[in-house]
Amino acid sequence: MVLITLVRDYIGRMLQDIPGMKVLILDSSTVSIVSVAYSQSELLKKEVFLVELVDSMSKETMTHLKAVYFLRPTSENIQKLRRQLANPRFGEYHLFFSNILKITQIQVLADSDEQEVVHQVQEFFADFCAIDPYHFTLNMQMNHIYMLPAVVDPPSSHSFCDRAVDGIAAVFLALKRRPVIRYQRTSDIAKRIAQETAKLMYEQESGLFDFRRTEFSPLLLVIDRRDDPVTPLLNQWTYQAMVHELIGIEDNKVDLRNTPKVSKDQQEVVLSSEQDSFFKSNMYENFGDLGMNIKTMVDEFQQITNSNQNIQTIEDMMKFVNNYPEYRKMQGNVSKHVTMVTEMSRIVEERKLMIVSQTEQELACNGGQVAAFEAVTKLLNDETISDIDRLRLVMLYALRYEKESPVQLMQLFNKLASRSAKYKPGLVQFLLKQAGIDKRTGDLFGNRDLLNIARNMARGLKGVENVYTQHQPLLFQTMESIIKGRLRDVDYPFIGNHFQQGRPQDVVIFIVGGTTYEEARTVALHNAANSGTRFILGGSVVLNSKRFLKDLEEAQRISRTSNAV
Amino acid sequence: MTTRNRTPLYKKYRDALRSVRVPVASCSPSHAGPSSSASSSSSAGRGGPVIEMVSTSLLHPNRSYAPVSTEDPGNSSRGHLMVGLPPAWVDLSEEISANMQRAQTKISELVKVHEKALMPSFGDGKEDQHTIEVLTQEITDLLKRSEKRLMKLSPSGPSEESNVRRNVQGQDGLDFDMNINGTVSNMEDDEFVDVGFSEHQMSQLKRTEAFTREREREIAQVVESVNELAQIMKDLSVLVIDQGTIIDRIEYNIQNVASTVEEGYKQLQKVLSVCRENTEKRRNGYVCYHPCDNVLHYASPPNTKGDILLTKTILKR
Repeated sequence: MVLITLVRDYIGRMLQDIPGMKVLILDSSTVSIVSVAYSQSELLKKEVFLVELVDSMSKETMTHLKAVYFLRPTSENIQKLRRQLANPRFGEYHLFFSNILKITQIQVLADSDEQEVVHQVQEFFADFCAIDPYHFTLNMQMNHIYMLPAVVDPPSSHSFCDRAVDGIAAVFLALKRRPVIRYQRTSDIAKRIAQETAKLMYEQESGLFDFRRTEFSPLLLVIDRRDDPVTPLLNQWTYQAMVHELIGIEDNKVDLRNTPKVSKDQQEVVLSSEQDSFFKSNMYENFGDLGMNIKTMVDEFQQITNSNQNIQTIEDMMKFVNNYPEYRKMQGNVSKHVTMVTEMSRIVEERKLMIVSQTEQELACNGGQVAAFEAVTKLLNDETISDIDRLRLVMLYALRYEKESPVQLMQLFNKLASRSAKYKPGLVQFLLKQAGIDKRTGDLFGNRDLLNIARNMARGLKGVENVYTQHQPLLFQTMESIIKGRLRDVDYPFIGNHFQQGRPQDVVIFIVGGTTYEEARTVALHNAANSGTRFILGGSVVLNSKRFLKDLEEAQRISRTSNAV
Repeated sequence: MTTRNRTPLYKKYRDALRSVRVPVASCSPSHAGPSSSASSSSSAGRGGPVIEMVSTSLLHPNRSYAPVSTEDPGNSSRGHLMVGLPPAWVDLSEEISANMQRAQTKISELVKVHEKALMPSFGDGKEDQHTIEVLTQEITDLLKRSEKRLMKLSPSGPSEESNVRRNVQGQDGLDFDMNINGTVSNMEDDEFVDVGFSEHQMSQLKRTEAFTREREREIAQVVESVNELAQIMKDLSVLVIDQGTIIDRIEYNIQNVASTVEEGYKQLQKVLSVCRENTEKRRNGYVCYHPCDNVLHYASPPNTKGDILLTKTILKR
């Protein structure tokens, strides 16, 4: 069972037992949870005729409708619900919560339900946004919090951890598993989240998590984004990751409003592997292959259009009428993908991403400090390169050659500062402080132990297929170690006295600070190859370089003000 | 897929709380409540779990409570609650779905008759032809009637209610669409049967003029019904939802409403700022209040949401 199916089943079960006309009431986070998995027309089929937000102020009474609430059990939601139960607008109330309710919350609700309109109160653990079958996100607003020590802003840090724990717990409840938990030793926030999750699963709610034991217990690994700061800084060349990097995907939606020459119905498009078979088969393809496949699709479409044009007999007409919905769908799909690819080629052209990306990949994958320094300097001097790309190049260089040549690093810093007006001083240094070599656990650049160095050299000799997609995220190594049982206990300790026996069949990796689509691709490709271990990837958000840099800036700003105080 | 049912626990708490609440509710307002309102409410109040009366009797003490608690913004909406009847368009929707069901059974009947008519038989099959015609006519009638109803369903006035109606319309539309596709194919069959029949006749009998006229009439009928169908298809294509596109996204449908409301709010504020400028120009605040409110009433749509916004903006002043 994969994530999207799980969420769909939850929603289906919620709606099917309540006959008649329904109104579905959601909060700001369950809206995205529901809408990535369900569509409006599917809701209509279940007789849901109105979808509202819980904070809607409407007073219209509609007693002929039955209200189905699906909310996160936050205290704000409970307060809103209380007010609405005191003045019921709908005939029946069915309350579903996406996570564990506190006893006091149930009491508060029961207290305000004076007219006894509530028919059921349930916990349905769909508390994560399942964007792909093996990839979930929690869409956290305050994602930069993970970079700050807990003492800087205790309430925010607390709510950040709570949300992460809730999300992870919900995933395991939906999967009906109780895992052994490991975390990255060097990260305080990962440790905290891991410990709180363990406390919830083995102490507070151990009854709820008491499932039938499987032969090998599943594994939860909590790691920190700062262990691999390189992946979110790179330009991407596979379809899904590229769209996110260049345009931006939010809950499987792409906003094309800012792009020139887009027809009105294409301003916002849906990019979901569930509903769009072309996207499903191409989301992990690189840009070149994607172009070829789009061309085939356009050709096919043209053929169909031609055959639709000569309608002569009534039979033809009948066929046309029967195929029309399908045809419309295909038309929308074709123009969607063509628009997107055109827009991306435009951006690639404009920002000279082919050149930039080549240097980025060199920095991330191959050695050679002198050559790298020259390449970065050259690009910094190039007027046509955009500010954000320069900043990223310097960051990648700094992460890679932090200790090798401080003088040259300083030169780059100065050059960057003089070139880009937008550049905030000290951001690269802040990144090094956050995710420098001393902070990292994993062997990010594959140059720590002899084995990795040898492997790198072997790869260098073999030559690479595609210079733009040669980078493998650190997660790939981590996954391999898990499969081979070589993940070191010193670096990734267990919580409590649990130990891994044998190879786990289900592994959930949670990256505090956000995942990337490149990593999601690695996971999906691994699962497709079917090696007996199934991975699920999740994170607080889905990062692209823009979001990563924004979080970094925000964290830097906060830590600076807190230091000043 | 774990779920946990908290209903029993909830009910336990609710029952426990009710036993606490009931004496309080009947005690404190009982001095004010029954004496001021009719005596019937007090007698019904003891009744317990009765459907209609309880809701009113529970409301009465609440109402007498309102001035004290001050936390009761929606008193006016209470009146509607007691009605409890769905609006008239719900009946329409139900009628459409009933019609659809009837049409579906008719269509399956039609298919059977068609099959029978196509079987080789010694009779001339006149009866079958007749039943086919009658059935087809009935189905077309049903579809046409449903379509008219569907048009009637279309929303009037901007409110959430209309949203619901639009959605209901969409769903019925989908049903409708499927049915029509079914019938189209049947209609075509109809024509082919005619062709077969006439050829058979031609080879056997001399063609009479009367027969030709008959045939022409039938063809005209077929053409007419095809045209009708085309019209229905055209009307319906507006209602059918594009699946897999942004229109089909749930949050898009919510945000749409929200942004419309926001837009309205912005417009109101613009009006207000214009008014304020006027006020300042005239240096006479009091006189200007009335024209300003007039403008607002004029500009706002006649729905509750607008009114709330309106009062909010006015209060802000």
